[in-house]
Amino acid sequence: MPDWIIIILKSITLIIILFTFTKLLGSKQISHMNIFDYITGIVLGGIVAVHTIDPNLNLLYGIIAMFIWFIVPFAVEWGSLKSKAFRNFTEGKSTVFIQDGKIMEDNLKKEGFTTDDLLEKLRDKDIFLTSDVEFALLEPNGAISVLPKRENRPLTAKDLGIKLAPTKEPQTVIMDGKVMHESLANLNLNLKWLETELAKLNVSIENVFMGQADNDGALYVDLYDDKIAVPEPTEKPLLLATMKKCQADLELFALSTENQTAKDMYEQNSKKLQVAIDKIETYLT
Amino acid sequence: MTVGSQVKGCFASIKNIEASLETLANKVQDVEAKNAYNEVQQIISQIKDDLKKQVIYLAREEPQYK
Repeated sequence: MPDWIIIILKSITLIIILFTFTKLLGSKQISHMNIFDYITGIVLGGIVAVHTIDPNLNLLYGIIAMFIWFIVPFAVEWGSLKSKAFRNFTEGKSTVFIQDGKIMEDNLKKEGFTTDDLLEKLRDKDIFLTSDVEFALLEPNGAISVLPKRENRPLTAKDLGIKLAPTKEPQTVIMDGKVMHESLANLNLNLKWLETELAKLNVSIENVFMGQADNDGALYVDLYDDKIAVPEPTEKPLLLATMKKCQADLELFALSTENQTAKDMYEQNSKKLQVAIDKIETYLT
Repeated sequence: MTVGSQVKGCFASIKNIEASLETLANKVQDVEAKNAYNEVQQIISQIKDDLKKQVIYLAREEPQYK
């Protein structure tokens, strides 16, 4: 057999084996790999590379070596799933770098971090003053996690005491002019609903590049033709506006009538409607 | 516009609100939001009943505008 055929055959075999091994080892993201995963990857790649281009090497030896380099990391991963102590040993532990705004110099030295490295990592997190940090930790994968002091944390709706309506993830119901039936089903909607909504917007489904529906069943579309303006869903703002208008009307009736029972009725209902508006406003905006 | 027709217009708007709330309550996935919509829908339906009585009363008061 000529060498080139051998190389082709070996390459295909090794690609298949490498693919299966890496699939079995799990799909950890590259940034989440520890040193051991990293080395394993390089060695597996190295073995494949050497055996692919050298036709004189015995393929079986290569496969044996790859198998060993696969089975040991596999066992290590399995072991670290089962035991915390083993995990600490294989994956390393996190190191505290800053506590109560004070830098732990000894820990820095132990991990081989210079002051500049630490400052750089903090600047990455938009922190320029170490005393703004309540707590910082070096994770086993080399990233730094930072908890800023309370007053330096970004303001959230919770801090302001604002109640927000919960939102679920929107679903993409149309892609490249085709209906995604599964996403529609996830929202408890059907094709009929989609057709009605598109008819309301006066567009046909073939012209829609992307269509997304949110939790409340409002449809947002992007068309192939960018010159056509598509109206945003107005159902909810309209509802809120109508409620406010009715409330104002009732108040007006209460002021203008001279009949005492009617006046009381109008006042009472305008108050009720105000309560209703307050209750539902967060959901409608 | 007579008082009767004004109140009738408001009554129609209230009916519209009630129906919109019902569609929203049916479409929404979140339980909390669904409950809020249903709760508000009940308040609106009470208001609707009161206004309906008023509309009938006013129609009797102003039969010439009927």
